[in-house]
Amino acid sequence: MRSLLAIMAAKAALRANRVTGSGGTALPGMLAQKLDKDILAKLVKNNFPGGIIVVTGTNGKTTTTKLIANILEEAGITYVHNKAGSNMERGLISTMAESTNLSGKVEAEVALFEVDEAFMPRVCRAIEPDTIVVTNLFRDQLDRYGELDKIARSFRNLFEELPSTKLVLNSDDPLVASLGYDLENERKAIYFGVGDYNGPKIINDHTADSIFDPFTQQKLHYTEKYFGHIGRYRGKRGGFTRPKPDFQANNVKQKGIESIKFAVNNSTKVVKLDMPGLFNVYNSIAAYAVAKVSLDLEENNIIYALNESSAAFGRSEVLNYLNREVLILLIKNPTGLNQVIQTYLLKEKDRLLVFVINDNFADGRDISWLWDAAFEDLKGYMGKVIVGGTRAYDMALRLKYSGLKGVSVEPDESKLMELIEKNSTKRSKVFILPTYTAMLSIRSKIVSGDEKAKEFWQ
Amino acid sequence: MKAIKIAHMYPERMSIYGDFGNVLALSQRMNWRGIKNETVMVEVGQKLPKDIDLIFIGGGQDKGQVVVAKDLKSKSSQIKEFVESGGPLLSVCGGYQLLGEYFISNDYGQIEGIGLFNVISKATDTRMIGNIVVQSEKFGQLVGFENHSGATEFIGRAQPLGTVKKGFGNNPNDKLEGVIYKNALGTYLHGSFLPKNPKVADWLIRQAIKHSGQSFKIKELNDELENSARKFAAKRP
Repeated sequence: MRSLLAIMAAKAALRANRVTGSGGTALPGMLAQKLDKDILAKLVKNNFPGGIIVVTGTNGKTTTTKLIANILEEAGITYVHNKAGSNMERGLISTMAESTNLSGKVEAEVALFEVDEAFMPRVCRAIEPDTIVVTNLFRDQLDRYGELDKIARSFRNLFEELPSTKLVLNSDDPLVASLGYDLENERKAIYFGVGDYNGPKIINDHTADSIFDPFTQQKLHYTEKYFGHIGRYRGKRGGFTRPKPDFQANNVKQKGIESIKFAVNNSTKVVKLDMPGLFNVYNSIAAYAVAKVSLDLEENNIIYALNESSAAFGRSEVLNYLNREVLILLIKNPTGLNQVIQTYLLKEKDRLLVFVINDNFADGRDISWLWDAAFEDLKGYMGKVIVGGTRAYDMALRLKYSGLKGVSVEPDESKLMELIEKNSTKRSKVFILPTYTAMLSIRSKIVSGDEKAKEFWQ
Repeated sequence: MKAIKIAHMYPERMSIYGDFGNVLALSQRMNWRGIKNETVMVEVGQKLPKDIDLIFIGGGQDKGQVVVAKDLKSKSSQIKEFVESGGPLLSVCGGYQLLGEYFISNDYGQIEGIGLFNVISKATDTRMIGNIVVQSEKFGQLVGFENHSGATEFIGRAQPLGTVKKGFGNNPNDKLEGVIYKNALGTYLHGSFLPKNPKVADWLIRQAIKHSGQSFKIKELNDELENSARKFAAKRP
């Protein structure tokens, strides 16, 4: 009875949201939780015959989740999943309330959720997932998450509490890999990783957080470092060493900024992603591993789905704005930003570059991380740079100290859009690198601007 | 002209929080003035060179601090002699705590510091997080971002870096932030600290020049952008 009330309240709030267009997903969840504090467990746990899959980690949650969703779609498996930005407890409740009928039943075989790292223990204790994927762990919004080691410890405790959950972990991130090391009852984690990568690399990389043996604090020896602390490593004298991946991406080859391809283990079949960057290889191989071990799908079907996938909302999305090709590349921490620089900016030296840095709550109030990103690698960039957002001056200052010249500052968003227009021409390429809330508002300005342009021409 | 030598201590374990920005600010502000300088990274187990002119130590996770504390002990007398002879030093957050008498952490018990500063720190249940504005007699308005659960208190005589106008500072109670002893500073301000507070950066540079046995004056730089960034930061919630 109580959960029925909770579902009804959440559904009513969701409808009200749609009418007012406010689009917030936390409020309906909050209402439902007020009426029934166990509502999430009741709606999710044991409710999905095909399994409950949770994706977490610092970077790549949204894209990995989207790739798994595409695989489910292609396989004809019905599923529910939460949207980006609704990855905390209340967002999940809202998602569930929306797809549940009043008797608490869901017409879907699989539940697929991306979950914020800080909410992992609470959410997973409630829903008891069949599979947990951890993409990577990097310093990220330390004002919200606290220290990495604490997050890692909370994950490890959680894993031991859920002995039958399959753990799909990144073998190339020492901290993440160590979470599956020496588990109780000889339980084995499933590992994914990358075998080789010969593409461009960041020189001024200050983002390696976990380059020490998590158990002995001895420095790890890397035979290959791809970015940050991600790579192939081994410990001293039998110390912690990279576990052999069950799913390894081999022959990784990047083609411009359009695509990247690889093969899984010794397969002759090639995965050719319609999005660039080594980080997307990690996202894909993680999704591949889940499709194999949790969904038991065939290689051909998985590869077909991966090849058909495009970038997630605001993550390397290509849009058209007043006849300019605009790439929106969400940035939120130094590792992610370095990946963007590594993938897109090292070769694109004469395009318009726009950084929009907000420090609203959802972005993280702290912008110290800008100083750890490798803007020094942009040395030699000859194009124009515009910076905006609530912390436009901080961003400009960061670029000044990196030695980059020709930077314009515009904290006002409408004027920023004008400045972008003025500093680019039709058919020119514009790279916009916004933080989360800046991404939402800039994206909507671009989409509505594009519609105006279309209307004009019709 | 003799090159100014900066020691960046423990960048691998103690640089979780924009700490490269501090070293970058020092080095660029010397580069822009044509002052030769070099930065030496000193990791655990490595020697601190004898001819350094400036020491920087940043913040880290508790786990890293345990290892670093041990190593610092072996360099304790060298660092103290450096500071006693007027050598400039900047320590931020975790580094600041380790230069005090001790730090009682939640997970690793009491971590011994080297006692350069007359301060002690204890882990608390309140995480002191947010933008912080400090008024300093020596440097004027200082801005940054703090994120610590360790609360620092003075024992005996110690001089704070400034008074907290917004935020927490050393601890939730006395509205004091940081410490100054001779030319050594301790602070909780990230942000990074030095780029938005160029008066502190230039003061450290002046002390470093003096310590290197040279006596030239440094010229003023155009700090318009630095000052705008500081003004904007001071207004953020």
